[in-house]
Formats: sequence, structure tokens, C-alpha cells
Amino acid sequence: MSDQEYPHFEVDQHITVKSNYYAGMIGSQFFVTLRDEKKILGTRCNTCNLVYFPPRSTCGRCFSKLTEDDFVEIGPQGTLETFTKVNYSEPVQPRKAPFIYGIIKLDGADTGMAHFIDEVNFDDLYVGMRVQAVFDEEAQATMLAIKYFKPLEEK
Amino acid sequence: MTEQELISIPLMVDVPYRFAAGKYMSKFLIELRDNGKFFGIRCPKCGRVQMPPRVVCAVCHVKNEGWVELGHEGTLLGFSIVHLPLTDPTTGKPHETPYTYGSVRLDGSDSALDHLINVEPDINKIKVGMRMRVVLRPREERIGDLSDIIYFEPIAGES
Amino acid sequence: MKRKVAIIGGGQTHHASHRKDVNQVELVNEAVRAALADANMTIDEIDAVLLGNMEFFEGCHMTDCWLADGIGAYGKPGLKITTGGTVGATIVVAGAHHVASGLYDKVLCVGFEKQEEGDSSAILSAVAHPLYGRFLAGAAVGYFAMMGASYMQAYGAREEHSAMVAVKARQNALKNEYAHLKLDITVEDVLNSRMLAYPIHLLEMCPTSNGAAAMILADEKTARERSDKPVWIRATETAHNEQFELDWRDVTTKKPIFSRVAAERLYKKLNVTDPTKFFDVFEIYEPASWAELVWYQDLGLCKPGEGFHLIEEGRTEIDGDIPVNPSGGVLSTNCIGASAMLRIWEAALQIRGDAGEHQVPKDVNWALTTAYGGTNWTVMTALSKEWDE
Repeated sequence: MSDQEYPHFEVDQHITVKSNYYAGMIGSQFFVTLRDEKKILGTRCNTCNLVYFPPRSTCGRCFSKLTEDDFVEIGPQGTLETFTKVNYSEPVQPRKAPFIYGIIKLDGADTGMAHFIDEVNFDDLYVGMRVQAVFDEEAQATMLAIKYFKPLEEK
Repeated sequence: MTEQELISIPLMVDVPYRFAAGKYMSKFLIELRDNGKFFGIRCPKCGRVQMPPRVVCAVCHVKNEGWVELGHEGTLLGFSIVHLPLTDPTTGKPHETPYTYGSVRLDGSDSALDHLINVEPDINKIKVGMRMRVVLRPREERIGDLSDIIYFEPIAGES
Repeated sequence: MKRKVAIIGGGQTHHASHRKDVNQVELVNEAVRAALADANMTIDEIDAVLLGNMEFFEGCHMTDCWLADGIGAYGKPGLKITTGGTVGATIVVAGAHHVASGLYDKVLCVGFEKQEEGDSSAILSAVAHPLYGRFLAGAAVGYFAMMGASYMQAYGAREEHSAMVAVKARQNALKNEYAHLKLDITVEDVLNSRMLAYPIHLLEMCPTSNGAAAMILADEKTARERSDKPVWIRATETAHNEQFELDWRDVTTKKPIFSRVAAERLYKKLNVTDPTKFFDVFEIYEPASWAELVWYQDLGLCKPGEGFHLIEEGRTEIDGDIPVNPSGGVLSTNCIGASAMLRIWEAALQIRGDAGEHQVPKDVNWALTTAYGGTNWTVMTALSKEWDE
């Protein structure tokens, strides 16, 4: 019996996964402060003299425990370290293209924060630009309590 | 002092997939969909007939060759009566409980197939070794998936 | 092994239904700090870090990225491994290979699961093969249920026998401060509890736990210098089963089954003729109480079909001659990424005499552990108190 050729068969399926990520004690305080006081917190490791964003409970370099006594306020202004414009849209993206995001080194922090950059033309951006956080008035306890960063007004 | 508010972030990931069935499974699923037939594949070395078919025999590491058309009747190897209302992924709705679920080896096959069993969920009415037959969806409802089998049911008159 | 490998420290969290007070990093950090304290070491002394969990159970891919700080992996070599339920043991075996090879002296192994954070049933349905199994994903709680039904029919065991296994697990867990479920129950309580999938009752199910475990492995020189009670890893064995061949639920099948294959090879390596006399304690991975009865025969503790006599006669109780799961087993604590590692750690505690209230009341020189993974494969280890210099 000759083996007839069968067309290539493909199966379409999808998986929906819901999860719930706990922030922990330090993380919870970070998000509550962000939402309620419009303040951004980092944690300082006194041994390494480094301020971490996101705030964390262990210093990766020296393994010291960091607690709420190690909170320091950082930002809300900072310096743009790098940036890009996303030109293509994917369903999973939080915004429709084109949109800009970058890494901002908040004043007082030693590590950067990735976030959207808005209220600016892409061609006017440069590394080293001073930017400030724009908070959401009706914030939830998530990173989107900051809507985006915009160029710091010149005074 | 008020207790620390503990924050959690709910997230959802919805991922679409398209899986290529491959050469042997394409034949199996198309024959199931179009002709309501079950095909197993034989290992030329040890003679095992595997259904669903796969390209390499896991024991002998040789290419399986030699299609075998299997019938629609087989033997119940194991079963359970499920009381948990688990979600049927093809409908998105929970199964009506209790329901029976089991493993059937079609005559001529060396491997078994798991599926729903259409029998009263009464431990006294189900026995390992019972003879079963496949009940398929009508042709127009079949899509080329093992859910084209609605369930297995006991062959009347055989104990 | 090219070089000898010993366990010189370990730690675990107090496993629980909820740990909303910690994020995943902080959870593993607790176990890591406990292990370092137990070994009297600092993280700087660790040469490599191996991490494992059930992939995507927390809705988070590549947890190795996010946990690096908490497990002390910053700047260090290491691996992330995901092998389903066996991962806790796979990590220890990989760690043993790292040390035995001579390339690393001190390796930290970490396993965890923070199951409250994820969508286990959705992910498990994603484990099911898209072509052969996805359509039934919602019905598949029945795998072990089918095994139980098959066992009773083939050998004449009764539901009571599975209930006895559950009672043993729960009563042992009452003596284990770290165990998740500590329930003071009787056989009658088990049989009266809700039937989930015949013949499995609610009180015979393992929980989903949040927890972590960590262990430190070292070469012989380090072990003899730094530890009073090194526990030696004498042999490990892994055996995979064929995909989708779920024939192991038919307990009378003559096909070579992963558990028996692994046990035979391991026993051959160590010249074991009678495991009940060779090993002093067993920590096995029992996803369901029926699985324990089948493990008894697969491990050669009894002839096929006689496992339920062992539990009837009390021989596998904590003070029996073949103690199985004095820790309470997976039936009491199931943080999947750590569960298999906890079998090895609990066995090590027994050998060290450090198991506290759930210490078996005899001299423990040899221990055997098993693990079980979703594609029906297993990882076994044999541990000993002494290894001649």
C-alpha cells in the first residue's frame, strides 16, 4: 500500500494563565508609598554604599539583609541613561506603537528604572536629559502609579 | 499601629500557539477527522503497535514503520470516578460531576488512550477488563483532534 | 563518582498555604540563609549556585533572573533547571556532578515554589501534550486515582489501606515543625472525607505549599574540615519513561517502569540485595497515598501486590523496621520545586540524627530517596553516614 501524502496538519490552541505576584514587605511598602504619597523609595546597602531600585531585601553584591530602616527616597527627578522608540505593535504591548521608553537613573539611586517617556518628541531626546516622574492621580499600587517621565521644565 | 498592607499584582498571560502535528500525527488526525479511522504504527524491531503513532520507537530507537488500522473496540485498563468539577478545556465549562474517566487499549494496539467513559458513575458497574467501543462525533463536527471522540462506552451484552 | 561528594548543610522554610509577607526572592533567601547558617559558611565561599522550580508555576518565566540576588548568585556560575516534580532532586544530582567533576568544591542547590502566586491548573494543562492530551487536560486528576482503582482490583487491597498511608503521613507531619499540613486524623476521618476522584479522598491529597529548600554540597576535603556530620551522596539514578505511555497506572503491567528500572540500577551500583535490610530509612515522593503502596513494590520492599500488608503491619511507621517518610512526605508538604529536595534533606537529617521529634528511633547509616516527575520519570539518591577515607 503506497503511503499517500497527507497535508501538514496544524493545531491552534491557546493558554490563559492568571497569576498573582506578591511584593513582600519591602515591595508592599514601596507600592503603597508610591500610590498614596507619590514618593519613590529605594533601599540602601550601607556596606556597599549603593542605593537599589527596585528596593530589595538582599544586597546582591554582599548578601547583607536590607530592611525598612534602609529605605531612602529617590527621584522623582532623574537623568535619562538611554531610550528607544518602539515602532511595531504586538497585542501583548501595554501601549500602541509608536511609543518611547527609556532607562532613568533617579536622583539618589545607583540603578535605573525602565519606564515610558512622554510629552516629548523623539528627536529632542538625548542621553543625559533631565526628566521627572508624572504621577497618576488615581493611582493603583503598581508601577503605573507613575504614568510616564517627561522632560524637566527649565526654570 | 495598623498592619502593613500586603500588595500583590494580578497578571494575566494569554498565549496563542500553533503546533505542527508532524508527519505521522498528520495522517492519524486527518484519518480520524475524515474517515473516523484509528491508525497505529508498528515498530519493525519489537513489533509494538503505538497509537497515537510516533516516529521513533522509544525502546528500540528505530523508525516505526508499518501502519496498522485499528478497530473501534478495546478493553478498559483503568478508570476513576471524578467528583471534582474540573473545567473541560474544549468548552470552558466545568464537567458535570460525578463523571467517569478511563484508559482503553484498542484491540491491536499496545498503548492505551485516556478518555471519558459513558457509564453510570457507580463503582459496582465498572470493572477493569470491560469491553469498550469508541463513540465518535458526526463527521461535520470532527476537527482532527482526540476530542473528536466523544467518549468510550461499554459494548452491550459483553461483560 | 570521580570525587566524593557530601551534604554539609541545608535549610528549609516553614512551608505554608500562604506567604503573602514575602516575594519569591525573599522566600528562597530564607532557605539559603538557613543552609549557610547550618553549614557555618558565608555566601562568598560558594562556588556555584543551582536553582530549580516548576517552570511558570508562579506565572514568571526564568525565575533565575529575578532570584539572583536572593540566592547569592550575583557574579557566580550556576544553572537553572526545570524538570517538573523531580527538579529538587535533579538540582542535587547536578550539584553532585559539579563537585564530583573536580571543577567546583562548594555548590549551593536551591529549590522552591510559591504556588499561591500562579495558576497551577492552567499551567498543568499546558504540560499536557497539545495533540494527545490537551483535550483532556481538565479531567486528568485521575492518573493516580486510576492507579488506585487498578491496585485494589489486582491485589485485593481496600480503600482503608490508602487511608492508613495518609494517616501515617499526617501523624508524622505533626512531629515535623516545617511541614505544611499537620492534621491529627484517623482512618475513619480519611474515609469520611470528600471523594475527589474514586478512590482518592480529600484527606489523601497532597497540598499545594509555598516553600523553599536549600542544600550545600562539598568535596571530601572541605566536608571533613568543615562539617562534623557530612552526609555522603553514594549513588544517584535517573530513569525516564516513554512519553504518554501511562501504562504504569495498570499496576500489573510487565513493561519496564521508570521506578523499577531506576531502583534496580541503583541497587546494582551499591550491591544491594535486600533493600529492607540495607537501607535504614526511606523518603519517597508520593504524589498520592496509592503511589506509596506501589513504590513499596517498585523499590523491592515487598513482592508485587503485597505493599498494603506492609502498612497493615505497621512496618513503614516511624518506629517500624522499614520507616517510610518520617517527615510526613509530599502528602504533608508539596512546594513542588522543593519537594524532591526535601526528601534528600530529610533523609540527611535522619542520618545526622537531627530530625528532632520525627527522628526514627534507630541507628541510621543508609537512606534512600526518590522523586517523581510529570513525564513519569524518577530521580533516586542513596545517602550514607560514612564513606571510608
